This record gives sequence, C-alpha cells and structure tokens, in this order.
Amino acid sequence: MTKTVPISTPIWCPGCGDFGVLASLKKALAELSIKPKDTVVVGGIGCSGSIHNNLECYGIHSLHGRLLPTATGVKLANPNLTVIAAGGDGDGYAIGAGHFIHAMKKNPSIVYIVMQNGTYGLTKGQPSPTAVPGYEGNVEPPFDAVMTALSIQNTTFIARGFTGNQAQLTGLLKKGIEHANALRGFAFVEILSPCVTYNDTYKEWREQAYNLDAESSYSSKSRVAAFSRCSELLAGGKIPTGLIFTGESKSLETNTLTSPAPMALQDLRLETNLPKYEELLKDFR
Amino acid sequence: MATKLEQESELQSAVKNDITIMIGGQGGDGTLTVVNLLGRVFRDLGLNIYDARNVLSRIRGGPADGVIRGSTRDIYCIGDSVDILVAFDEEAVQAGLLELSETPIIIFDSSKGQLSEKFKKPGFSVYQAPLGNMAASELRRNIFKNTIAFAILGRLIGLEDALLIKVLNSRYARRGKEALDSNLKALQMGFEFATKNIPGSRYSLAHGDNSQRILSTGNEAAAFGFLVSGGRFFIGYPITPATDIMEWLTPRLPKFGGVVKQAEDELAVINMGIGAAYAGARVMVATSGPGQSLMTEGVGHAGEAEVPIVVAQCQRVGPSTGEPTKNEQSDVNHVVYSSHGEFPRLVVAPGTADECFFMTSEAMNLAEKYQLPVFLLLDQALCQNSASIEPFDLSKIIIDRGKLVNEEQLGKLSAYKRYEFTEDGISFRSIPSQEGGESQVTGNEHNEFGSVSTDKTNRLRMMRKRMMKLELAKKDLPKGRTFGPKSAKIGIIGFGSTYGPIIEAMQQLAEKSIDVRFHQIRTIWPILEDDLQEFVDQLDYVFVVENNYQGQLATLIKNYINHPEKIQSITKFDGSSFKPKEVAGSILSSISSKAIA
Ligand SMILES: Cc1ncc(C[n+]2csc(CCOP(=O)(O)OP(=O)(O)O)c2C)c(N)n1
Ligand code: SF4
Ligand SMILES: [Mg+2]
Repeated sequence: MTKTVPISTPIWCPGCGDFGVLASLKKALAELSIKPKDTVVVGGIGCSGSIHNNLECYGIHSLHGRLLPTATGVKLANPNLTVIAAGGDGDGYAIGAGHFIHAMKKNPSIVYIVMQNGTYGLTKGQPSPTAVPGYEGNVEPPFDAVMTALSIQNTTFIARGFTGNQAQLTGLLKKGIEHANALRGFAFVEILSPCVTYNDTYKEWREQAYNLDAESSYSSKSRVAAFSRCSELLAGGKIPTGLIFTGESKSLETNTLTSPAPMALQDLRLETNLPKYEELLKDFR
Repeated sequence: MATKLEQESELQSAVKNDITIMIGGQGGDGTLTVVNLLGRVFRDLGLNIYDARNVLSRIRGGPADGVIRGSTRDIYCIGDSVDILVAFDEEAVQAGLLELSETPIIIFDSSKGQLSEKFKKPGFSVYQAPLGNMAASELRRNIFKNTIAFAILGRLIGLEDALLIKVLNSRYARRGKEALDSNLKALQMGFEFATKNIPGSRYSLAHGDNSQRILSTGNEAAAFGFLVSGGRFFIGYPITPATDIMEWLTPRLPKFGGVVKQAEDELAVINMGIGAAYAGARVMVATSGPGQSLMTEGVGHAGEAEVPIVVAQCQRVGPSTGEPTKNEQSDVNHVVYSSHGEFPRLVVAPGTADECFFMTSEAMNLAEKYQLPVFLLLDQALCQNSASIEPFDLSKIIIDRGKLVNEEQLGKLSAYKRYEFTEDGISFRSIPSQEGGESQVTGNEHNEFGSVSTDKTNRLRMMRKRMMKLELAKKDLPKGRTFGPKSAKIGIIGFGSTYGPIIEAMQQLAEKSIDVRFHQIRTIWPILEDDLQEFVDQLDYVFVVENNYQGQLATLIKNYINHPEKIQSITKFDGSSFKPKEVAGSILSSISSKAIA
C-alpha cells in the first residue's frame, strides 16, 4: 500500500483539552467506519487548528477564520466526502464570525468543531470572544455560540461537549458526523476544551457543565424549549452541554447541486459536452 | 398636436462605412432599446459592431446612455466621435457635447420644450420632434418614443423601411402580439413624421460581409470560456463590473452539473474556491479591485498551498469605492504584488472578447498545470462593451489538468508526497476520495508530505520549488501580439481594452506617414522580458499606453529591459477609455517635440 503522510505528533502542551478532542474524534470516525480516503479535516489557525495534522485522512489547513468557506467549497465539490472543519473560538467567533453565521444559514452538510478555551492559545493568552470578564483585562461579556446558533432559524444540529466527559463527547461527534453524512445539514459541536497554559478552566467547567442529555424532560427537538432552557441555565451560571437541538432544513447540497456526480469527478471532456456547448453559442447573437 | 421637425443644415447624402450613434436620456427612457435595434440593423448590413454603455458623465439620474458603432472594418472601441446623437433631454446633449463630431446630427425630443439655442452650434444639424408626447398621446406609453426615434433615425441614415420592420419583428416576435403591434405602429408614426419633415436621407450606410459574426462582451466570453473548459464551480459576490460573469453563468452552469454560489463576502469567495479546487473542481472566481483587496490573503494562501485557482479581476476606477462603472487599469500593481510573502502567481490579460474566451481557458490550464493562482486581468471597457467577433471556435479548446493523479497511479507509488521535489518542480496532486492520496495541504511552510516544517534546508528547497514555477511557466504563457511595420522606429505597448484605440491610432498615424509598431502584452506577470526586449530593441521610442495615473505597466517594464530610457508613458485616468485620436495626438506631440519622424 502507498505510504501516505506521516502523522505528526500534536503540538499541544501536556494536559491541553485538545488532546481529548482528538481522541474522541478518532474514536468517532473509527466506530462509524469512515474511511480516511473519504474524510477531509479542514483546520483553522490556532493551537486547535492543527488537529488535522494528527489524523491519517485528507487534511487542509485554511487561513485564520476561513475554515468554514473552505470546508463548504470541499463539500460542494464532492458531497460524498465526510467534511469536518475544526478550529478555535477566536478563529470561529472573532475573525471568522461572519462565516459562522452564514455557514449556519447556508447549511452545508459538514461538521463544525470549535475548541472553545476562552482564549487565544497560540498567540499566548489574549482574551477571545468567549473570555469571561476579568480575564486578561477583558470587560466584554462572553459570546455564547450555542445561543447564536439557536437563533438562526434553519440550524439543524447544535451540540456542546466537554473534554472532561469523553463518553458524551464521542457520542455527540458520532451523531454530528452521521447527521452531516446523511446530508441533513450543518452539524455544530462546540467543545469546552481548556487551555491549561493560559486559561485553565477545568475546575470551573467541571462545576458549570450541565448535562442536558441526562435531563429526561428535555427535548432537543424544540427550538423554543432549547432556547428557554439554555437561557435559564446560563443565567444560573451553568453551561449547557449535550445534544441541544436537532431540526430539519434542506441542506446546501440538496438545495444547489443538480448532478449526482460530484463536481470533482464529472466528465469534463470537450467531446462529451460539445453539442450542449454549441447550443450555448446561440446565446451570442 | 404640433409635430414640426426642424431641419437646419443643407442636405447631403454621403456613404458612410463607419458610423457612431449615441442615445442619451434618463434611466428608464429605454435608451438601450434603440442600441439593440441598431445592432440588429448593423448585423443585417454585415457591419462590425462595437457598443458601450454609460459613456457620459451624468450630473444626476441613473446611467442612461448607450453608444453603438457600426463599421466595415474591425473595431474594438467607440472611435473618436459620435456622428448622431438621439437625446431625450437637454442634459444628454450637454453631457454628449464633448463626444460629438464637428458636424453631428442631433435628434432631440422636444416634448418638454425646444433645444436651447446655445446647443445649435455651427455645423450641427438639429432635428426636433416631441417624441415622448407623440408616443404618449397615440400609444399611451412614453417608452414608444424609442421606436419613433428609431424610424426617424433610419430615414436619416438611408435605411430601407422594410429592414426596420424586419428588425422590429425579430426583436418583438417573442414578446407577444400587443408589444409587436404597438411598436410597429410607433415605427409607422416615425416614418410618417419623417416623410413630412425630412426631405431625404443624410447618409447611406455601406454594407459589409460580417453577418456571421457574434456579439460578445469580455465578461460573457470569459464566462463561456470558463464553462467550456470544464469550469463547474463558480462563487461570487456581486461587484461591478464583474457581476455579469456570475449572472451569465447562473442559469447555465446548473445544466452542466455545476454550481453558482453567491457567498457572504470575498473572503468567503476565495476560500470557498480554494476548498472546491482542492477537492478537484476547476474553479474561477471573479471580482473587481475592492473584492481583490479582501481576497489578498487567500491568493497568497493558494500560492503557498499550491492550490490551482483563477481570479478574474475586472478593474474599475479606484481606490476605495472609486467609480464603480468607469474604466481604469490601475490594478496592475495590485495583481502583480499584493499579498504578503513571496509566491508564484501568473497574470494574463486579454485585449478583446475573443481573447477573453480563449485566455480564460488557458488560465484554467495554467492554474492546474502549475498549481498556483492565476489572475485574468480585465478592465471595465473590455468586460462590459460588446464587439463583433468570429464565433468561438470550440474545437480549439484544450483541457489540461496537469499532474492530477488517479488511484491507479497512486497505487504504484511507494510513498505519496503532495509536495514532492520533482525535476520540473511540479508535484503530483491527489484529490480527496482517492485511496493512497491522503496528505496535508497547508499554508504553513511544510515538507514534501505537507507536514509543518521550519527546517532551513527544507525552506530553501520549498521556496525554490515554488518560485521556480515563474520561470517554468514562461514557455506556456500567452506571448504578446505585435502589429505594424518592422521598419517603424516608434513603438506602443498596451494591454487590455486599449487594444482597440491603439490599433486605430496606428492607422491615423500611418495616414500621416508615421509608421508605428504595437506590442499588445498578454502576460503581465511574470514579465516575458525576451519578448519585450526584442520589441524594444528595434525601436527608438516606446510609448506605454495605460488607463492609470502612475504608469504602472511602464514602471514594471522598465525594471526588466535594457534601455529603459526608451520608455515613455501615455496615461489617462478620467474614468473613460482612450480615443484613438488621443493616443495618436500624444505620440505626435511627443515626437514633434523631439523633432524625429
Ligand atoms: C489574519 C491573521 N491574524 C492574526 C493571526 C494570528 N493568530 C494566530 S492564531 C490566533 C488566535 C487563535 O485563537 P483560537 O482561534 O481561539 O485558537 P486556539 O489557539 O485558542 O486554539 C491568532 C490571532 C493570524 N494567523 N492571521
Ligand atoms: S497554549 Fe493552551 S490551547 Fe495551546 S496547546 Fe497549550 S494548553 Fe492547548
Ligand atoms: Mg481559543
């Protein structure tokens, strides 16, 4: 068999939450028997955005904040691929915030993993959009991406995991991947992934993480219920985790692709298409 | 109702083999209808056509002027002056004054009053008729004034009534009987009016033999060139003058299994393009200067990550928002230099719609063959004005996907390295879904496998591998086209839409027994210095003609040739294209001051 790219060892500090994300993601892909050849991981820029280097599938490292357009392009060119975009909270909620909103609105069937650590890890600890007041002089309230995702009317999969709960996290990633691979739309999974070096939140998050999956009365099928329960929990100083919302809305591929053959693998030869091209010549009067 | 037509000049009917007609009014006046009808007339007469929109500077109101030129010879500009102006208001006459010939005909819609005396200059022939009022009272809709004007115009330029009727039929055939009948009635009104008020025609038009030609803008040609080259993925964000490319593709690409997607901004456009290209689609995106500014980081990323992508850059007046609808070529430096760090990029620049078609196709091949970003540099006039060209010869299209591998080839490799150092500097490119092609593609400096690396030796080799493509690609890049006698001592260099005016300036200079040679540059980057040196060596003086303030192309060229002192700039940056006489005039005054020729 052809020897492909050697898998790099992670660049992360010992104890970094991102190790937990990598472990869960590997496990989820393996348990779903998804072939590396059919998987593309699109990395953002940040400590988190190096995760594709530690996997044996196809990987593309995008620019800071641009992982979602890149991943959307990959998926449209070949909807048969499992496409996973993975980056940091700065990458996704600051410099890439516009794309975050529009990706949810466009609804491509990709998985989007945000490794949320309340800081800019790679640039050594400046406040990110999710930073709490007081952190490194931050005075702004933290941005809650789950609430934002809930407020976009056609989101189809919203979840939050925590590296401190690997079993739950692996389950959520598997569900997200299955959702996207069934072409049911955008699967957003925010993962609380502490930065032990610049913002060690393990202790706080262990206390704050609230597992909605374990709440029998909670239904992830109702946007209104999800919005209200999450608001309540946040107001009470908790961070909701688990499968927060699932809904139905036509995905980008279903809406836009007209050919079953992936664009990347279509027959583009001139001979094959010539009669149709000649027809178009008539549009030039 | 008073329908008296004034006719103030003596009558004479001259055969014209080149005529330019301008229609001016407010947005909503339907000025484009007359341009369209005249286009059909010229086509029928076998004339070549060139048409342009929004040539005038307007004080208020929407863009509302169209110019159309018909000629027995090849034309790629609107020429020096307008022979006939159809004006639906006085503002159109005011704005059009600078464009008029010395003895123009003006057809003026006097519905709101007679044309002011100040516009009736010596040599001018003014015909006035309350076109709007006539249309409104007889046909209940002001818009039919266009067809009435068309009839009067037809009589003045010696067209057969039957031809006008035929043209009207062909335009309105598919728009319902009512529209056709009303228009035919308007035409008859115009005829009757002319019979009563115009004793005879002023011109008669020559016939040509170009009826088989098609009419295309540069944008339409580029869009079609993209499609026939296997382009199936187009992402855009609306921006004048690039939007037409997206709009041409929107109804057509899906019929070929393709997609046109409008993104949220140009950052998304370039990165979505990179994602799709990486996944194996042939991708072009299109924008103008402001959009390219937002794409800048992405273009460098494609250079480092070796992802093939074509960026059509449709220049307009800058900087900032500038003048969105006006012509300029001020982004030469922007496409050649922008983005941080050093990476290879190619910049090709077609000069006619025909070249837009074929060079878009070439750009797609170059991008994949050399695995890098390619700019297709256009300008507003080239993008949006139409010209008669031979129908695109589809058999000349070649699709070359470069070193794209298949699974069979991958299976034979002992190891797949996305960025392998090879003799020709180009590595095999796998696409996701191929077994054995798994790899890392990245904008970080990387080793042959695509793993991040800061190793010094690796850095040197990777930089050379990438930058070497600039030399390698030279053999495949579009060479310049050279025109004019070899014996000439004066040369012109230009690119893009200046092609048309320069060719005609040469003809004007030749009539004054001044021989000029013209080198139309079609590759802006890398500079094909051998090509240029050979051209410059034969000449004493070389004028670089370009639509910008700084003479960006001239400055660029000077860095790459011996005897840069031969180079002189002719620039124009008022938002309008060069007129042939302006190019010829600049050269004449320059050489007379040097007392050569
Ligand atoms: C355009 C641009 N601006 C700034 C940077 C510098 N930069 C690199 S990573 C980063 C922030 C990373 O934070 P986050 O996305 O939260 O990832 P983390 O390191 O925390 O995983 C910044 C600002 C960059 N690479 N590109
Ligand atoms: S700096 Fe923080 S986020 Fe980055 S690797 Fe270290 S612990 Fe992880
Ligand atoms: Mg972070």
